[in-house]
Amino acid sequence: MNKFRMSIICFIILLLTMSSVAATCNIIIITDPTGQDPNGAAAGSMSFADNMFQSTFLMSKNNQFAVLSGGTGSSDTRLDSIVEAVASLENNVSAASAASIASSYEGARLLVGGPNIGAAIGGSFDAYVITVDDASNTIKVTPYNSGVATLQPGQKGAIIHLRNTDGNPMYGTAESVRKETAMNIGKMIRDGYPATTILSEAMGEVANDSGEKYGGGGVNLVSGISTGDMFTPKDMNESGYPMDEEYSKVCDNCGWSVGYPTSENYDKCPVCGGDLTTVFAYEALGSALTVSPSSVSVSVYGSDKPGLASTTKEIVEASVAKYGYDASAISGSINRAINNGLLMGVNHVEPKDINVKQGSKAVGVYYKALPGDRSSPSWDLPIDGNILNILGSIQTAVGIILILLVVFRSRLLKSFQNR
Amino acid sequence: MFVKIRRDTLIILLLAFMLILCGRLITYVAFASSDEINDGIPISGIIVKGNDIVPVDTIRANVMQAGFRDGSVIYGDVLKTSKREVSLQDALQTAQEFATQSTVPGTSVMPITAADVQVDKNTGVVTVTVIEDFSSVELENDTRSR
Repeated sequence: MNKFRMSIICFIILLLTMSSVAATCNIIIITDPTGQDPNGAAAGSMSFADNMFQSTFLMSKNNQFAVLSGGTGSSDTRLDSIVEAVASLENNVSAASAASIASSYEGARLLVGGPNIGAAIGGSFDAYVITVDDASNTIKVTPYNSGVATLQPGQKGAIIHLRNTDGNPMYGTAESVRKETAMNIGKMIRDGYPATTILSEAMGEVANDSGEKYGGGGVNLVSGISTGDMFTPKDMNESGYPMDEEYSKVCDNCGWSVGYPTSENYDKCPVCGGDLTTVFAYEALGSALTVSPSSVSVSVYGSDKPGLASTTKEIVEASVAKYGYDASAISGSINRAINNGLLMGVNHVEPKDINVKQGSKAVGVYYKALPGDRSSPSWDLPIDGNILNILGSIQTAVGIILILLVVFRSRLLKSFQNR
Repeated sequence: MFVKIRRDTLIILLLAFMLILCGRLITYVAFASSDEINDGIPISGIIVKGNDIVPVDTIRANVMQAGFRDGSVIYGDVLKTSKREVSLQDALQTAQEFATQSTVPGTSVMPITAADVQVDKNTGVVTVTVIEDFSSVELENDTRSR
């Protein structure tokens, strides 16, 4: 009887430990601690579990830090720990002490970091810390599973946490995949790939090999880009987009693209007939986060008219490529586009309406929307609009009277003759 | 010829046609060169400032719920939306309330402690300034295990 009771207790303990191993995949990668490279720091989260909303990969654009979370605790526990970590990071505490907050919550895990503060993981985790030495190009991969593991500020490297979720058909692969992916991340950092590319490759590898594949999503910490709700689930208690599956098809020639499942109907590009390339979800994550060095981040204010923001972005990029970061040149280009009818429903801009920040490659354009349904700015004429209006009305009236006179000409003439 | 028309009749008709055409053209020019507004100021856009972790789209959507959305028009002190007419002051009040209820996506965390909503009555631009503070977020149950 006693033996039986013992075995039951052992079984219950085993169950408890099993369920506490269920978790997600969190990765943070820093390839440029100086913050110069717009793609120099990235972070992302995935899981086999449900409800991988944006709260699992939060980012602060102003302070350049990311808070990735996970763990076995209830969602309330996780939220409490996130809120406390964000609050303390906003007060400029170190990454290590922010990550250590997780250990005061049951089952929670926090992976925090940024290009300036390094990175740290705390709470309940199984992680590898990867460091790459600049001078000697040596890769160091160290496993940690308790306390707080840190990547020092100013150091190139990464932290990857990976565990298997219960019910994952590939349960038990986490151990080897974590090590494999950590090695590959190290090699790619050494070879000089930007952090966003490495993140996309690493997430692809984890999704394919360990099955912890549902987004989630990622963030680019230096440029402040998040995948937002690209891969997150739409409703509660659902899983997100599987990162190892096809996301869209893109035409190699003209750039036409269509998302899944609609794209299953297309083999050739309907616009130019070119071949279509299949883009997997993890690749889509990479291209959404990666900023090309020539691109300019353009913000449009003052009007939410459809198409305005994207057209303005094109115009500003072309202008910057041709004339550089010059407010008057950019306003000239935009005004030309307004005159040509490329941009509709906004008034002409002046150089003071253009906010140029060359350092961060950002241009802000403040538009003034036109009143009513007007599509183009009002003309500058020397004559007052009201006079023209009256003149036009009189002319129209005279014309109509003339027509009436002609129509009833013979009858009018006759009635005059009769008098 | 089916219809017999004298030449001078034709000339007069042509003249009348020209007159009407020119008249209409001048009326259009008058419209195009005037910048007067006589039918209210439409809401042209929402600028969000001061947010950091809460996405701009979340705050913008909440402010739109208060009536400051595409298709709404300001007539003096009245905001006319697609659903109802409200006083501009009330709409601003509601917008501020709604903005403070913006959450971190997928959670019930509401880190916006204060919001200020301004409307430019000449351009129709809505400016939302928020203060985001995670240290004063109140959650219903504290789950910290001390």
